[in-house]
Amino acid sequence: MELMHHRDCRNFAAVDVAKGICHRTKNMVPADGDQCEECVATPKCKGCRNFTADKVRVELGVCEASTATPKFFAYPDMVALTCEMFREQ
Amino acid sequence: MPKKLKEVLADAGVSMENEAGGHAPKSLTDREVKMAPHPRVEKLRDVFMQTLSSANNEFPYWYTREYFQHDNEIPVVRRAMALKAAFSHSTPVIFPGELLVMHKAPFFRGSFPMPWLSEGFYMAKEDELYQDALKRGATSVDEHSKFGQGGGNVVKSFGKVVSIAGKFGMRQEEVPGLLEVARMWVGKSVDDLGHKYEQMVPGYETKEAIMRNVVCMFDSGFTLPQGREVINYFYPLSLGFDGIINLAKEMKAKVAGRADGDGLTGMNRLYNYEAVILATEGLQAWVRNYAKEARRLESIEKDAVQKAEYKGIAERLEWLEHNSPRTFIEAFQMIETMHLAVLNEDAISGMSPGRIAQILFPWFDQDIKAGRITEDEVIELLELDRVVKTSIDCFASMGVVGGVLSGNTFNTVSCGGLQKNGNHACNRLEYLLLEAGMRNVMPQSTLAVLYDEKLPEDYLLLATECIKTGGGYPAFMNNQVGMEFLKHHYGPEGMDIEDARAWAIGGCLETSGCTWKPITLNGTTYWIPGGAGQPTSVGVHFISMPKVLELTLWDGVDQRTGERVFKAHGKKLATFDELWAQYKLYWQEAVHVLDLTNNIQHDVWRKNNMAVINSYMKPDCLDKGHLINELGYRYNATYNVESAGTITTINSMAALKKIVYDDKKVSLDEYRVALKDNFGFKTAKEVNSFSLADQEKREDGPGKWDKLHFMALQAPKYGNDDAYVDNILLDWENFFCKDCYNYESLNAKPLYACQISVSTHGAMGSATIATADGRLAGTTFADASMSAFPGTDRNGPYALLNSASIWDHSMSQNSQLNIKIHPTAIQGEEGARKLLDLTRAYMRKGGFHVQYNIVDSKVLKDAQKNPQNYRDLMVRVAGFTQYWVEIGKPVQDELIARTEYEGV
Ligand code: SF4
Repeated sequence: MELMHHRDCRNFAAVDVAKGICHRTKNMVPADGDQCEECVATPKCKGCRNFTADKVRVELGVCEASTATPKFFAYPDMVALTCEMFREQ
Repeated sequence: MPKKLKEVLADAGVSMENEAGGHAPKSLTDREVKMAPHPRVEKLRDVFMQTLSSANNEFPYWYTREYFQHDNEIPVVRRAMALKAAFSHSTPVIFPGELLVMHKAPFFRGSFPMPWLSEGFYMAKEDELYQDALKRGATSVDEHSKFGQGGGNVVKSFGKVVSIAGKFGMRQEEVPGLLEVARMWVGKSVDDLGHKYEQMVPGYETKEAIMRNVVCMFDSGFTLPQGREVINYFYPLSLGFDGIINLAKEMKAKVAGRADGDGLTGMNRLYNYEAVILATEGLQAWVRNYAKEARRLESIEKDAVQKAEYKGIAERLEWLEHNSPRTFIEAFQMIETMHLAVLNEDAISGMSPGRIAQILFPWFDQDIKAGRITEDEVIELLELDRVVKTSIDCFASMGVVGGVLSGNTFNTVSCGGLQKNGNHACNRLEYLLLEAGMRNVMPQSTLAVLYDEKLPEDYLLLATECIKTGGGYPAFMNNQVGMEFLKHHYGPEGMDIEDARAWAIGGCLETSGCTWKPITLNGTTYWIPGGAGQPTSVGVHFISMPKVLELTLWDGVDQRTGERVFKAHGKKLATFDELWAQYKLYWQEAVHVLDLTNNIQHDVWRKNNMAVINSYMKPDCLDKGHLINELGYRYNATYNVESAGTITTINSMAALKKIVYDDKKVSLDEYRVALKDNFGFKTAKEVNSFSLADQEKREDGPGKWDKLHFMALQAPKYGNDDAYVDNILLDWENFFCKDCYNYESLNAKPLYACQISVSTHGAMGSATIATADGRLAGTTFADASMSAFPGTDRNGPYALLNSASIWDHSMSQNSQLNIKIHPTAIQGEEGARKLLDLTRAYMRKGGFHVQYNIVDSKVLKDAQKNPQNYRDLMVRVAGFTQYWVEIGKPVQDELIARTEYEGV
């Protein structure tokens, strides 16, 4: 999984949409700032085997684990920490 | 350079300075009392100060995903399943230094939209849905509402952050998902379904015209369906989650398949208990996820102290996932969890914790006696609670969050009052609560002292000291007047003197029905108070009284928009009595149609979107097996009629009576032309100031209206102990408070009067042309319901109190009086005593509520010019305190203009 920013990291506690506190350093870091070497990936739908990205609307996709008909949508950036169906790619 | 009104009047020898009773020092004066919070609190407060209001799509996503899986399920069970899924999937976030944990959404100051209530307003402006909302008047008030441009408000989009409604920031990555979810609710939300049926009300066109012309502020059914009430923590505190589930299981077995004499709703009890279990399981999962996060943090933390704190948090949450609290800190964590849970269940503003120093007293008492906690540690937790409460946001539309609430969520804590046995309730924890409020001055929880003659003098003096911090709290509410109102209004539902004593403020100053429940802790029983009534945020909210007068004067046509709102009355209004009588008829027409349409919206809400968690916490839902929608609450007559602009209207009536009818100086026709012509002044929008004194004359204005405008401004004004005008107020109150009982809520109960302004005096003033009292177009109305119009109370504060107490305040849920005092006027011990004397005098006269803004107006002016220097400046607006930089300009202007007393 491609890891780019603080907000994709498990050590990042989001204070708000733009920044958060890093649990390692206790510093305030920008959400979109580049990851550091301590970075641990936060599971998100985009990293789940159940997720199929939409070919046209790339910001959306389908959760193949959904039991609804049609299958319920999901979106790549959704945090999957609490999703019991998450299967790491 | 066009002349400002205050210069025009100064030329005529009339001062419009807002100083009364002396002169303030020339230099800027800070607040007298300044204390520091505990270091950890200070750090977290600093984090808050940098935090933006943030929203995400997680809760709406899981709620919606689950909801649409269960098409034919019983509505209450379906709702509980959706809630369970949403809570179970909420991502936990814990910040270093926190002791009381859990957040609404995974941010420090997070919230989320609830498209099942209304999905229209955050759709793109060009979207059909938005256009439709516009036509219905559902968004009219948004144009007249302004958020403050600073603080945590995300006023515009930046980087990858999208601004929603000028207040909330959402990650750009989340927006497509939100819109996807929102579209699923089209035609199904409370807003859409309610609209479908409200159109069937005869006279519906009048309702639409009322909303479009901002005669009424908002529909409560789909914006804030709950709130302005007092929560009840009794069941989680006494039974814990496992206990609640076990109780519901036992009850299920008792009621399954039985109507028990109630052929209509008796069978529903089974489904209701099932919903209680499901929703509680969702809360357990939520707590469990937080506990796991605390354990994870404990495992990676290197700092020993912080590591131990994470461990403590994990242990508490692991215990509370199943059990009732054993210690003070566990009990505190439990009430924080339940508070946030209820605020996540529905869009709510004004969920008041109630009398927490009495609710938490059993654990405090036993922990202190056993040496498990020190008073200093208790104060630290109380200070932390202020960070938690101030970080609560409510996601709703611009008009509601900005125009009505100024971004506040009104988690008011009540203090003082009486115990069940009639003795005063000021236990030791009450004192510490005030101290924490002084040490960590943040807007929430604002404090409300339930003033009773029995309260100890040292407690009242401490409350007065607390006011000197400038935090705007505590306000004083009259305990006996509140009880009298409750006994009268809820008497038919069984309110007795003991239950009346349990009352607390819900929202900013809504008298709310409560009850007592016994907590037994280690063999000792304590009676704790808690909410037992339905929301009071519901009903007809708010009707602009000055706008109704405008419509009366112009035969039903709005003069700003030119649109007809009411059918023409066709009267000449030849006498004052005829004018007054017609005013009341239009008022009644507005209340009537709004009551009916509002009932339908709330009925849709209670059928599909009923409260489960908030509901089961309140007596007597768990006992009866009926939730809020089946009147399971002990007190259900909570729908009200809210007014705005009382004093602007009373002053206008007095001016018309004096100038047109009694002294016959000008005809009513001529007066109307002058009002329409704004007395020769520009509009407030053109001037970009919303205070009267700053309004500028038009270049083309030859002064034609100067004489009349001068007369209007000099006509008798409320707040000076002048019977000429005060008797008009008396007449209005006697009419209004009684008239509310002519309308019926969906619960088949009568309505009652609620008289607070919150921030509506800004937004509604913005939509109203000049008024007969001399106020100019677009400027704010007088704030609250008992405050004088800025600068017009010239005879000192005691004269103002006499004017305000001319009527019987116990006829109404509340009244509201805000007084601004310069810090030097109440300095030292002597100053504190003077302030207490003033308060006591008002309470003894039967006034319901008074609160003080202890601030130098010059500081406010400087803050308006240099907001960057004033991130932490707080002001009391109307029933609540807010950061200056988060308040919209109209209300800022009005706060600056308010009369500033230089001596009491
Ligand atoms: S299983 Fe969970 S994490 Fe995976 S795509 Fe579906 S919702 Fe996302």
